[in-house]
Amino acid sequence: MKLLIIEDEQGLCESIEKYFTGDGSICEVANDLQSAREKIALYEYDGILLDIGLPDGEGFAVLEYLRSTGRNDCVLIISARNSLDDKIKGLNIGADDYITKPFHLAELKARLLAIFRRKAFGGTNTVIHKNITVDLLSRNVAVDDKDIIFTKKEYDILLYFIANKGKVISKNAIAEHLWGDEMDMLDSFDFIYTHIKNLRKKLFDASGLDFITSIYGVGYKFT
Amino acid sequence: MKLSAHYNKASIIISVSVLLVSGIVYYLIINHIARQQLDSDLSEEVAEVMEYVDVNHRLPKSIEFDEDVTSFVKTNSATFNTVFFDTPYINPKEKETEPGRAVSALVKAGGENYIVTIVESRKNTEYLIQIISIITLALTAVLLIILIITNRYILNGLWRPFYKILQQVKGFNIADTRKAEIVQAKVDEFQELSDAVSKMSSRVTSDYQGLKMFTENASHEMMTPLAVITSKLDILIQDESLRSDQFSQITDIYSAANKLARLNQSLLLLVKIDNNLMPETEALDIKAVIMEKAQQFNELIQNKNITVDLNLDNLEITASKYLMDVLVNNLFSNAIRHNIAGGKIRIKTLGSKLSFQNTSLHPALDPLTIFERFSKGKTSEGTGLGLAIMKNICNLYDFQLSYRYIDGMHSFEIYF
Repeated sequence: MKLLIIEDEQGLCESIEKYFTGDGSICEVANDLQSAREKIALYEYDGILLDIGLPDGEGFAVLEYLRSTGRNDCVLIISARNSLDDKIKGLNIGADDYITKPFHLAELKARLLAIFRRKAFGGTNTVIHKNITVDLLSRNVAVDDKDIIFTKKEYDILLYFIANKGKVISKNAIAEHLWGDEMDMLDSFDFIYTHIKNLRKKLFDASGLDFITSIYGVGYKFT
Repeated sequence: MKLSAHYNKASIIISVSVLLVSGIVYYLIINHIARQQLDSDLSEEVAEVMEYVDVNHRLPKSIEFDEDVTSFVKTNSATFNTVFFDTPYINPKEKETEPGRAVSALVKAGGENYIVTIVESRKNTEYLIQIISIITLALTAVLLIILIITNRYILNGLWRPFYKILQQVKGFNIADTRKAEIVQAKVDEFQELSDAVSKMSSRVTSDYQGLKMFTENASHEMMTPLAVITSKLDILIQDESLRSDQFSQITDIYSAANKLARLNQSLLLLVKIDNNLMPETEALDIKAVIMEKAQQFNELIQNKNITVDLNLDNLEITASKYLMDVLVNNLFSNAIRHNIAGGKIRIKTLGSKLSFQNTSLHPALDPLTIFERFSKGKTSEGTGLGLAIMKNICNLYDFQLSYRYIDGMHSFEIYF
């Protein structure tokens, strides 16, 4: 994937770049509106991560530019403002999704892949990882063509894991992905443990492979 | 006691006493004048007697003097000073005794000395004095009534701007961005007061707005560094060569960053509610909202083995769906978080009241302070803003939120 990160915070850019590049994607960075416009005018991107608050203007200008030139790049807004108005405005002028700072890189990647799948692959509604096939429309998961029944949470975790395969995902990131802002309880870690244990067991029973590695209590890795 | 009542009291006491004193003085003066008038009448009568005696050289008959009673007494003394005195007067026609005024003087007739005494009725002058007194009293009464009425109406009219300003001050809401209407007063003092109050309120309001703006900006500005922390941690844990104790420290940093982010979001939400920057309101059934949340929290409820006792009727309210979600969410998460394993949550509606009760190990809370920002139990993992947010949401829509501790259960009640 070819990505453009439009973000003025250097530390954040570096993290995003590092996380996505490890996956074989190519990342380019623009720190302000001016350089973002130049890059967009020159190249096409599979995905654009767009910060709204830039030093020389609002990131909405990028969306307007894309729309005015009839481009259909995937745009994910990264904003420090959890404002409904901004969200609506962004989505109305062509953004595909909106994520509020602070976010986990795993979440960012899962969201970006989701919109990329939806947009770029049009009809492709299956996600394949090794011998696991996930049908996104029917929410059906099959391992070696054998259907496995997952609960909604297990299914969500599986998709999240596949999007971030090979990466260590923190329990915080998983908790936020599953429950969002609504759960601010440490108890949620216990639930994650239970869900992942069940997921791991179901996958192991069906394929004889262990996909999930626990990393020292900090999180999990899906391979 | 109102100022006008104080003023009325003082002015009535003063005017009544002045009128009383002046009434007495007035009475005395009139009495004195009337008496002098009578005396001069009597002197004239005496002079007439003298003249009669000079002309006729004999004493006149009593009948010749209209209604006055005249008597002559022979005396041996050659000198007698004329005296005036009060004496009863017997009306010769009606044979009634009336107050009278008399004069005694020496008359010489035919070489004899007589003392003539003429008594004149004082009835007419008494009557005059009475009439004058009644008129005076009536005037006094009228004056008093007019005084009271004018005091009441004029003072009330004069003070009206003051009460208007007072009303404004009482109803002053710091979060209200509408400008207070400037009261126009004819009285300079009130005009000054009104100007001062409106200046003060606009200054306070703008300071408060500035503070809120600051809170909002500060919270937003903190989100980016927090995003950097979180993303750096996400990168850091990819390094599997780290030791297990380092991972455990990273977990702690994650938790702290997460808590900070939540705190920020809660502060921002509070500011938004204060500023009334919330999405449109819509008609909602609170029962549906609660059922939906109960579903979401099902996992947590089951995990703690909590029994949920739902007794809900449809209860239609008008509010923002988002805020009602936050409200019910906070109710549920508090009821679960502070509950005991195997505990109970009782949710019921009664008329327009929703009550949320839960068992807990915590003793009764102080209903006066729990809704304050950052007031929380020592063991609480929350931000300390949850209840403050609930309170603000309820205030926004004029719902009444209260806390009670009944039958060993913490009970939050909302009157919609």
